[in-house]
Amino acid sequence: MTPNGAIVFTLVVVLAAMMSRMSGLIVLYLLCTLFAVIEVGPNATAALRRAVILMVPLAAFMVLVWVGVVGRAPADIAASQPGSRVSALVYVSIVCARLFLIVAIVQIAAMRFAAITPLQFIQLLRAPIALKRLGVLTLSLIETLLQAVDRAHTALIASGVITRRLSARNVFNGWVLVQTVWLTAITSVTGRMRDKWPMEHTLKLLDPLLAEKRKDPLRTPDKIWISCAAVAVVGIVWGDFYGLP
Amino acid sequence: MGSREFISGPNFSGRSRAVHARAQGYGVPTYFIGPYAEAALSGLSSTIADEIEIYRAKDHPADRPRFRAVVTDPRRKPQTLSGGEQVLLALHCFSLSAYRALAIDTALEQLDSANRGDALRYLDANSSFDVVLTDNRARPPNWNCTQLIASGTRFICNWDGLRGKLRPQHAPAVAIQQLSFGYRSGQDVFSNAAVALEPGRAHRLFGPNGSGKTTFLKILVGALVPRSAQITLDGVAYEPWRSGNRALALATQNPDQQWCGATLREDLARRRAALANRGDADALADDRVAELARDLGVPSLDQHLYELPLAARKRISWLWPFSGAHPWIMLDEPTVGQDDETCRELARTLEALCGAGYGVVFVTHDDAFASAVPHRVLHVEDRRIS
Repeated sequence: MTPNGAIVFTLVVVLAAMMSRMSGLIVLYLLCTLFAVIEVGPNATAALRRAVILMVPLAAFMVLVWVGVVGRAPADIAASQPGSRVSALVYVSIVCARLFLIVAIVQIAAMRFAAITPLQFIQLLRAPIALKRLGVLTLSLIETLLQAVDRAHTALIASGVITRRLSARNVFNGWVLVQTVWLTAITSVTGRMRDKWPMEHTLKLLDPLLAEKRKDPLRTPDKIWISCAAVAVVGIVWGDFYGLP
Repeated sequence: MGSREFISGPNFSGRSRAVHARAQGYGVPTYFIGPYAEAALSGLSSTIADEIEIYRAKDHPADRPRFRAVVTDPRRKPQTLSGGEQVLLALHCFSLSAYRALAIDTALEQLDSANRGDALRYLDANSSFDVVLTDNRARPPNWNCTQLIASGTRFICNWDGLRGKLRPQHAPAVAIQQLSFGYRSGQDVFSNAAVALEPGRAHRLFGPNGSGKTTFLKILVGALVPRSAQITLDGVAYEPWRSGNRALALATQNPDQQWCGATLREDLARRRAALANRGDADALADDRVAELARDLGVPSLDQHLYELPLAARKRISWLWPFSGAHPWIMLDEPTVGQDDETCRELARTLEALCGAGYGVVFVTHDDAFASAVPHRVLHVEDRRIS
């Protein structure tokens, strides 16, 4: 599979997930399971684990708000119906199932390329070079921010402003961490742009590196998976038209 | 034949400017290795493999040999390497690139003596590129040398005044047993290591680049959580990663990794507030700290830290340890970017601190500096401290 194919497939699945009801979601889950098993293999469990870690807090919050506090589904409220906690739970389940599918397919697709580095992924993309350059710079910025978080964290722990473990002090001084991360990130970026990049013309090195190496944007496996996803979308629209739940 | 130029001079004599000017004079893009990560790495890569790939050139000069690669895991993030390893990676990248000129600003000071020797031999033996270097420790023979002299009166230190203001302390004895630690994606750094740090003495952590010296300091201040460790202060259990750091003042290798605010006043206020929770805030009265800052060459607490030159930032990073807020002082590569006179005065100050009852731990690859401080050597190698 190519990066282009993975991106298009993921986008189609995400689009389908956003417009589908329960029956459509079941179809999409089956499709994604097949994709995970065939394209990713055992590594898919790591992707699912990440998706669970991301989704569990949100699901817990939604259950608390809609089932615990509101006690009715939004549709009940719109129709001025008394509603019930069960209808609220059904609503939360569908929303969470949809969001989990979106998060999971992004993680699974990313895991498909776990064997290559981020730069190699961008190199393999068939896209305008300006877009690829933007991809590299975006990754660079993300790395800079992650590094800034690590540095600021170390600085504030060493000075006793925050602690390594959860504490009330961390809550009160959370804004100091944000400010320190921001200052650190800016310093890193300006340091790089003032000294290193102008002297080396570092960014010019990207152009030959990112030049197109492939002619075909999609290969046969890409076309098969995208077709499957497109058929699922058609099925979901058709099911919606005929009133499937 | 490539030229070899060495820029010599004290701090604030314009060495970095001279290096930049010389690089511009080459008239071709020049590979730059600065003293810290922002200036040693491209900042465009997420892995070491990508960093190498960015610089690898198809039209690599045939007469330029490779500088050896020292890091074995190509998927590791380059920013997580130690300072010395970053410099070695940068030299490796340069050796694969098409650059015809190389500028190095005090970066070699972070290398241990074996690696520094290798680096200088590499630069000496290859004539296919120009090099301009400034460095406080290495002075390659047979290179053209430009001697700069100090200009102006900025950032002048009053070391005698500083030493006169040191507060006496009673540092506790630190005992560390069964220390095991490893980064998530790498090998163990420590495995059942044990060491005792004695108050009133200086200890030098000594070992090759990447052996875990900085990691050890980060564990002691609570920034990293060991897999197992029993640390005691005067026999009382101490777990800084759980309860917070209350005994050790750390000055990091890169001073920009230790600030808690944009100005010196803001930085100190936050540190003082953290100490106030423990009832010893009087250690950092504003007037006294302002005087110490003046002694370290920064006249105002309202000074924006990031507007100071790097060498001045490094010096002012010692303010917190010297203020007496904590009984143990830890300095990570304190001499990087500092001229000989500053190193001599710093050595005398560390000796004075030990005399005042502090415990001192320092990491350095600068043997001349280390020999000026009476100390005990702690070898950090093969996951042990001995």
